[in-house]
Amino acid sequence: MNASTPRQSPAEGDQDAELLSRTARDLPTGRHQFHKEHLMARIQQLQTSQQEEHGGRPGGPARTRRLRLPRPAVTLPALAAGLAAAVVAGVVVNDGGGVADGGVATGPGLTTEIGAASSEGVPQLLDRISLAAAASGHPTVEPGQYVYVESRTADTFLRTVGGTTTLASHEPHRRQVWRSADGTKGRLVDPAVNDSAEGETLSLPDERGNTPVADLNSPSYDYLAGLTTDPDKLLATIYKETRGMGNTPDQQAFTTIGDLLGESYPPAELYSALFRTAAKIPGVVVVDDAVDAAGRHGVAVARLDEASGQREEWIFDRKTHVFLGERVVQVKRNTGTEALLKPGTVVFTSAVLKRAVVNGIKETPTASQEG
Amino acid sequence: MRTRVRAGDPSAFAELFDTYARAVYNHAFRLTADWSTAEDVMAATFMEAWRLRARVDPEGGSLRPWLLGIATNTARNQYRSNRRYRRAASAAAAAESAVPDHAEEVAARVDGGRRLAAALTALAALRRPEREVVALCLGEGLDYEAAAAALGVPVGTVASRLSRARRKLRALSAAQAAPGARPPRPAGAPAAASRKEVRGIREGARPARQTRGDHTHAIRPAQEGNR
Repeated sequence: MNASTPRQSPAEGDQDAELLSRTARDLPTGRHQFHKEHLMARIQQLQTSQQEEHGGRPGGPARTRRLRLPRPAVTLPALAAGLAAAVVAGVVVNDGGGVADGGVATGPGLTTEIGAASSEGVPQLLDRISLAAAASGHPTVEPGQYVYVESRTADTFLRTVGGTTTLASHEPHRRQVWRSADGTKGRLVDPAVNDSAEGETLSLPDERGNTPVADLNSPSYDYLAGLTTDPDKLLATIYKETRGMGNTPDQQAFTTIGDLLGESYPPAELYSALFRTAAKIPGVVVVDDAVDAAGRHGVAVARLDEASGQREEWIFDRKTHVFLGERVVQVKRNTGTEALLKPGTVVFTSAVLKRAVVNGIKETPTASQEG
Repeated sequence: MRTRVRAGDPSAFAELFDTYARAVYNHAFRLTADWSTAEDVMAATFMEAWRLRARVDPEGGSLRPWLLGIATNTARNQYRSNRRYRRAASAAAAAESAVPDHAEEVAARVDGGRRLAAALTALAALRRPEREVVALCLGEGLDYEAAAAALGVPVGTVASRLSRARRKLRALSAAQAAPGARPPRPAGAPAAASRKEVRGIREGARPARQTRGDHTHAIRPAQEGNR
């Protein structure tokens, strides 16, 4: 076996090629000759029939039927090849800027005004937000029910095609997620992620047959309901569970809480506690003005990731202090390829439009169920 | 050779078959996890090659990548769903890792069966596009350009699929090497102790499963954390 692929260290190649070393063997005795003879006979047969067609002498009915036999096996691969070709063509056509996936309109990048940040008044603002959250009265999710979150989301990213890296984005589009209370069933409909408009099932087990176990990064409702609501203990849990992830422990803790705000529906006590916990993370600031993916302006609680120069902002209604959405904005200049993400670029933005508890996957809430 | 293939010279196809039947057969096995299906795919591949002969580029090197590309498409039609591949792989893995009755059975053979079972388990842990790239690049040793041409995708796609697949394979072999984690654990068996071990290690590989649609992964590993 000549398993040598360029652009990889020999050790790496050896290790992975070694894995497949036993997947190579000869054909069973006699089968090589059998298939070869079969192939040659078929080729001769096809050649003969082609000559007959060109000569204007159609073959008899029996022969025609015999020739039809291999068709299904032949048509399907041809179809697949055709599809593959179509995909390649699509990418080439869009080389100038956008991406043609899932029917999401694309553009060269999203930008925004960078709001002024201040470390003053952070605890006070988070306190008010926390009080508003405690009063929100989130419903309980019973076994068999689903948390439904509908959001409007967009993002900007670097795309490399043929060695050239350009800025590309998914324009704002609707994203819907359903997750069962225990987290084992779910559905995602997001044209920027899914290949089909039907979305994809998040029902598991995964590729390895493991039933998912909820954790802080993929929390189920049941998992959230079991978390402590004591801010100090909660923060300790977050640091412990996210150890080694992200650029810095503080940023990762902030991001983890942000993800819980965006696409889950925690019990009100925990929801409120999340903000009191965030107030204990060093480096959190208030941004005077930020706009969410749905165009709603508000005040933001934010934290700058020094490593990437990007600021994650949680946007709240200025008066009611209700959570509107979150976004990640490039605020510092980068170097290298990353410099394409200029300050003012919205790397990611998501506005929560609907959150509800529903009784089935794909079921959308009625007006009275929305929270 | 390319000219003769394009012209439909039967002796050229006889040569192609003699030279590449084994490679196509092995490649098909990696994509179907079944030796007998692999044989069918191999036979269908050469028939299909005959049908598509006019599309062969007159210029170029070995026709092996072209044949492997056709085999990939043919195998894909055999197993439309990954679920079916995983069933076949786990059945084959179980058969291969079964310890033979005879004590004098050479240890090397037993070891070979285990390693084949490990390979199938690893391949089954991948998504189909990743598995195809692994089979082409690692199994058959194609370079990125050849694999890209065989699959009809950009070179960058091959590179990214391969690196994602490598990460998954790493995580898997790390999990298997971990003490207390027995590799061929039947799906659904509780094995709570080893589950914990495996999950702890899987955490590191998590971004690999979440890459789709997760363009801000550098600082937001949980962006697509709903999966």
